[in-house]
Amino acid sequence: MTDAALPLQSEADQRAIAAIRRKNAVWRRILRDPPAAIAALFLIVIVGSALLAPWIAPFDPYASNMRLRLCPIGGARCPDFLLGADNQGRDMLSRILFGLRATLGIGIAAVLVGGGLGALIGLCAAYFKRLDQPLMRLVDVLLSFPSILFGLAIAAVMGTGLFSLVVALSIASIPSIARIARGAAQSIMQQEYMEAGRAVGLGDGALIWRYLALNCWPTILIYMTLQLGQAILLGAALSFLGLGAQPPTAELGSMAADGRKFLSIAPQVSTLPCAAIFLVVLAFNVLGDALRDALDPKLRQ
Amino acid sequence: MISLPVLLGVLLIGFLLLQVVPTDPATVVAGPTATKAEVDAIRNDLGLNQPLWVQFGRYLGRVFQLDLGRSMISNRAVVDEIALTLWPTVELMLACLIWAVPLGITLGTLAARRRGTLIDRAIMALSVMGVSVPVFWVGLLLIQYVGGAGLLPFQGRNGPIWTLDGLLSIILPAVTLGAVFVGPVARMTRTSLLETLGADYVRTARAKGASDWRVTVRHALRNAMIPVVTLVGLQIGFLLGGSIVTETMFAWPGVGRMAVGAITSSDFPLAQGAILILAVGFMAINLAVDVLYAYLDPRIARG
Repeated sequence: MTDAALPLQSEADQRAIAAIRRKNAVWRRILRDPPAAIAALFLIVIVGSALLAPWIAPFDPYASNMRLRLCPIGGARCPDFLLGADNQGRDMLSRILFGLRATLGIGIAAVLVGGGLGALIGLCAAYFKRLDQPLMRLVDVLLSFPSILFGLAIAAVMGTGLFSLVVALSIASIPSIARIARGAAQSIMQQEYMEAGRAVGLGDGALIWRYLALNCWPTILIYMTLQLGQAILLGAALSFLGLGAQPPTAELGSMAADGRKFLSIAPQVSTLPCAAIFLVVLAFNVLGDALRDALDPKLRQ
Repeated sequence: MISLPVLLGVLLIGFLLLQVVPTDPATVVAGPTATKAEVDAIRNDLGLNQPLWVQFGRYLGRVFQLDLGRSMISNRAVVDEIALTLWPTVELMLACLIWAVPLGITLGTLAARRRGTLIDRAIMALSVMGVSVPVFWVGLLLIQYVGGAGLLPFQGRNGPIWTLDGLLSIILPAVTLGAVFVGPVARMTRTSLLETLGADYVRTARAKGASDWRVTVRHALRNAMIPVVTLVGLQIGFLLGGSIVTETMFAWPGVGRMAVGAITSSDFPLAQGAILILAVGFMAINLAVDVLYAYLDPRIARG
């Protein structure tokens, strides 16, 4: 994973090694796997349009026009609404773009916060050997607990809303990232430069940050991406139950719940948000599987 | 043994939930005409002036005597409410496992036997789709196309599972819940079977001249079941999440729907009880999985 432990090499050796590395770079291996490449491309488009939603959305996602209520896709009443209108006569396409923005934002915020905490726990567990056992037992406890119950408990204690949703999803992403960070950091702990760093008198903080964190972050970041699909799915489920984002917020889970009363007359109102969630999570999972295969040397052969 | 700290944590959450109740229990007990002195006296009697950790100790005592308080909405004992909803939830989970696990194992076996072929790829693609689909979408589609067409009931539980009405009404919820469960089981069976198919004892069985399917089913599959059982156990939490959504969608009178209802209507004692029973149930299932594990793998039982 790192170059540090390699003995001295000639320049030709180094060039050859660099060429092999380039050929086997994670992203190249991903591109050779068509489903993963499609998933990656799809996610770039989706994340891009979610980021640009305020500029590319054709209409205001909250502007309602009761005359266009439940207008079907391609209906004569609403020629400008490409994906029809919802039960308040709001443009579905704009709401989905903003909904993606909210749903992805919630997932990313949760994975960054929870993953950051998890990474800190994992690095500390690997660095301070005495903390290893207690910290990892704590992580086991968190891991064994169904994450939807965090959602229920936190919504019950802190009230329903976006903030409690992000807190619940963050806690749910701590344990798996902590395990990954610990594993990655443990292999770096064995490197000679760790000892060298200690010998020149670097403090614990500097060693953890400069040597452990900066060497582990690519692995941690990739596993955070894997976690994102699950966080989005769970967040959408909690919002669907009315425990997360609240109407009229354009969020895919709560939009799906909102639209189910009109399932027989205007199926697009709940089907489109559901399909959007499915495609995004599917893309994250396909990409995640490919990344895992690319990173796991056992599976590579 | 990790269950004990989890249990304490859950009990702490339950206790905290009762602390955020906006009404002061002493004022409620004293009634509207009570003077301040009377309210204070009652507060003292109820132990509400004690430090929080003493109150937590008393709460633990009450929980172990199955006294979880009263619902703020129906005013019935929380334990009674839970007793009513527990069986429907168990029924739903069993109805889901009974078709999803065998199907998952069959698909996983098929994929492993036909490794690398189109069948394998199709099954694995289905399995990834299964873990990516929101449970509520499966439910919505079934309600729209099967329930909406009047083929099967999709509102509530029309009786116990052994009656015809009950059986019919559980089909759609059980299919919804199981749909997201087949994928992980199939995938785990495939991975685990591929490992055991390469084992020495499988080669021995082949050398003896056992038929292909006999080797797969009798020799490899039984050993491959150990990780699958673990997975099913681990995924019970996942199933629990799915069942909460499924129950809410199909108006199934189970614990999950009760928990969601209690939280959205701020019925704190009921929410506390529901979360507590969901967590305890989850731990009980994990214990059962450990026991089953020892049964499947005698090496574990002998320690």
